[in-house]
Amino acid sequence: MKVKLLLRNPQDYLRETADDIHKLARNPAPELHPMSAETEYVRALNAAKLERVFAKPFLGCFGDQGDQLSRVCMHPRALSLCLSGCVDGRVAFWNIPRRSRVLQLDAHSGCVQGLCWHPEQDLFYSCCDTDRTLKAWRVGDDLVEFSRPVSQRHLDFAPLNLDHHVSKDLFALSGDAVYLYDSRRSDPVGQWKWGSDSVLQARFNPTEWHLLAAVTKDNALLLIDTRQREPLRRIRCEFRQNALCWNPQEPFVLATASDDYNLYSWDARRLASPACVYRGHTNAAMDVDFAPTGRELVSASYDCTVRLWESGRSQSRDVYHTKRMYRVFAARYSLDARFIVTASADFNLRLWKARASEKLGALTPRERAAVNTAEALKQKYAHHPQVRRIVQHRHLPKRLYQAQLEMKAIRGKQRRKEVNRREHRGEDKEPFVPERDRHVRGVDE
Amino acid sequence: FQTTMDVAAEDSDQMPSGFHAKAAAKAARLRREAAKLASASALESPGGIESRPGEWAPTQSKLLRRVAVAARPGHFELSLQYGPYSVAYDTTGRLLALCGRGGHVAAFEWRQKRLMFESQVNEPCHALTWVGAGSTPQLAVAHSNWTYIYDAQGLELHCLKRLHKANKLFWLPRHWLLAACTDTGHLHWQDVSTGQTVASYCGHHGPLRVSALHPDSGCVLTGQPNGQLCIWTPLEKRPVVKMLCCPAGVRAVATAPAGHAVYTLGGDSRLRVWDIRCLRPLSVSDSGADAASIRLFDAAPQLAVSQRGLLACPVRQGAALMVLPAGGAKPLLSHPSPGRLSDLAFCPWEDVLAFGHARGLGSVLVPGSGEPNPDGAVHPLSGKRQRREAEVRGLLDKLPPETIAPPAVGGGVNAVDAEGIEEALARKRAAVMALPSDEVRQFQPRRRSGKASGELNRKVGERWQRRRMELRQLLKSKKRVLAEMGDEGADAAGGRKTKKAKKVSQSGELTKPATGTFLDRLIPKAD
Repeated sequence: MKVKLLLRNPQDYLRETADDIHKLARNPAPELHPMSAETEYVRALNAAKLERVFAKPFLGCFGDQGDQLSRVCMHPRALSLCLSGCVDGRVAFWNIPRRSRVLQLDAHSGCVQGLCWHPEQDLFYSCCDTDRTLKAWRVGDDLVEFSRPVSQRHLDFAPLNLDHHVSKDLFALSGDAVYLYDSRRSDPVGQWKWGSDSVLQARFNPTEWHLLAAVTKDNALLLIDTRQREPLRRIRCEFRQNALCWNPQEPFVLATASDDYNLYSWDARRLASPACVYRGHTNAAMDVDFAPTGRELVSASYDCTVRLWESGRSQSRDVYHTKRMYRVFAARYSLDARFIVTASADFNLRLWKARASEKLGALTPRERAAVNTAEALKQKYAHHPQVRRIVQHRHLPKRLYQAQLEMKAIRGKQRRKEVNRREHRGEDKEPFVPERDRHVRGVDE
Repeated sequence: FQTTMDVAAEDSDQMPSGFHAKAAAKAARLRREAAKLASASALESPGGIESRPGEWAPTQSKLLRRVAVAARPGHFELSLQYGPYSVAYDTTGRLLALCGRGGHVAAFEWRQKRLMFESQVNEPCHALTWVGAGSTPQLAVAHSNWTYIYDAQGLELHCLKRLHKANKLFWLPRHWLLAACTDTGHLHWQDVSTGQTVASYCGHHGPLRVSALHPDSGCVLTGQPNGQLCIWTPLEKRPVVKMLCCPAGVRAVATAPAGHAVYTLGGDSRLRVWDIRCLRPLSVSDSGADAASIRLFDAAPQLAVSQRGLLACPVRQGAALMVLPAGGAKPLLSHPSPGRLSDLAFCPWEDVLAFGHARGLGSVLVPGSGEPNPDGAVHPLSGKRQRREAEVRGLLDKLPPETIAPPAVGGGVNAVDAEGIEEALARKRAAVMALPSDEVRQFQPRRRSGKASGELNRKVGERWQRRRMELRQLLKSKKRVLAEMGDEGADAAGGRKTKKAKKVSQSGELTKPATGTFLDRLIPKAD
């Protein structure tokens, strides 16, 4: 008779020295892991809850500027630097991690309407509509040098915004038209206009060097090729588009922030209707910016909130608000897509995390693995009602919540009326119009 | 781990379609690969006895001569005086507790024979179970009236008055629930981590004297005197499943620590094995021969099943215990008991079986009963720090009581809510197929009066006449589509079943396509 009894050698289960990690027995056999799906679900639920527990996106204020801030401009190459423009003409240079002001200068006598950096040199431009000037400033170690502009140009129009070309020495000023200036020439190289109303903002496309997009005051979006005399296209929208931004990774995609509380993303190849309608704000969207990854958007709104969106999804991923933050006029992503800087009418610049529950600082390998696991679990169980409820829910102050309910009620009423009209008048007289076709009046060539 | 689909994989002709057959084949392949991986990385191999034909089942002394000296602590006898004893191992297999009808409660580490505590509670104790995780072990003992929880030093921590006259206690480690069946016919589920009573109700099925826990799902199984096996969950006050499993009353129920097998011992002394997932008999022997039941003569109603499927039962009216191999009828070994056997318990992760009897308790070696390769920190050789961490993780991963459901009923977190989807589709279909309301069809515009009203009334009347014609057309086309969709469509749209519709569904073909309207997309395509 052969007998074998199960006997374990304790040495196989003990660590060898105190410096070793403890040994963990592993047997992947499913018989030893019953209810593994339920356990995973509970872990996903806990991950969702912990994400909300650690969701503290507000990092701090940059300090009182003394007057309303109109523009924010991030440095194109340095992570920790940004500029802010004020309505009283002051431009401040900030160190983002320290949230401290490096320098401030009295750039203009009126509101700073445009701020942009030169892509390669340590040079930035600012323009003002009151004194109709465009000034170039050099950033150097010598602070005396810094307090005077390198060059100054007087314009015969009131500029409303400014953008520099990605690589060439060109910049676009928007005022009563879109003017293209060469830094070496005093007169504009090109001028484009459609209609009689002023152009609010013009931005260069990141890869198509001759392509510009502009938004005008008469509710239009223009597409301009600098090699042609007339703009390529005009898209007439229902409401004014306040700001626009090209997607840095998908350069045929363009996002605009509209007065009708929505953001729109447009495919430049097919402008008949927006590619996506981002709904969520309860007042006019003032600014929009794409993350450097091209996958996310941030919008600043007149309703005192900042919303973060995933490209292509019409519901916002997150909403940031504080008691003290008033109308938000500008929002920008940092170069690493981890932080957001907002400028608001309460005289403050604020720094926020792009991922509200992200742990800043170095993560140990185990922490990183835990974070990745939690993320994967939440995605796997994202459709389960309990998990979805926790992941989606955001607290809003009472007035914002009421405003949201009001928007919902208004939309519900509009939809109901449409359904009733369709039933009474017929499908052919009241056809069903999808959401994205409702916002464009027409496209002109 | 097998799903119901895998059960049917053995009979490929039971597969509903090629897609299911492929999915089952893939699942089987993944299982084989996982098993290969597990066996490749396995540290230990299971025990066993290889006997020559004609050899008798070995005695303990014979086994002790053939195994290492380190195995000797597994065989011991304790002569105690305080009545028939119940025994319980904790989940790690390190600690053994006993309670006697004479009021003796004790716990000790059986390997080192280190006594944790011993006390005389002056009350008959009927059942016990270890609760909590291995780092802070607590013992729940069912006294004659209430249930008490003792800590590792024997101090009484809690008195659970709700668990009144409990005759069986169960510990659900993944849910942190203490379940109890009582003589009064009540069932209780108590959360030990928060102290909340999850469920406490009367089952209205008589005193629940025969019960077992199905560890994989957390359900309590009870055997009834009318031969039924009832499956209870905390959320339902009635048995979720009632299955007739014996012609006479059920005398004992036992489940394996893992898996889907349920053993019932009936009043006819027959041991039957059931598959709890499909509630059908499980063939007892591996060879596939249909040994529907094993006759156990004079078997007292205590059964224990080990992690590897070995079954222990008392024989000769409790004078001896017998261990049957998984799926076999020939005993693996037997051992005489000094007193009448009252309880049996296999040690998890070890080849050891403890038995309690009227004169004390004992422990015997049973080669091949323990699972050789544990997972995680729940095994006898895990350190204190690992057990503590495992306890914290266990608390974080505590499952809600809603997850306790018998596998036969289905559901589960990742189950597709087919009914819900069907209902939602039916609602959508009904909304689209809703016939124009009578109010709309019979609407009469109000007649104006006054100057130039005649012209206005005529125009409005004409417009509504046209609209009524359109609605009539729409009604006709919708009815036609409904008829073609058959019974299902009619039900979904809330319409009456027409004879035409029945004929179409039986033939399975559409006779006439609908008009080229948007309703065409609702017509099910023929395969």
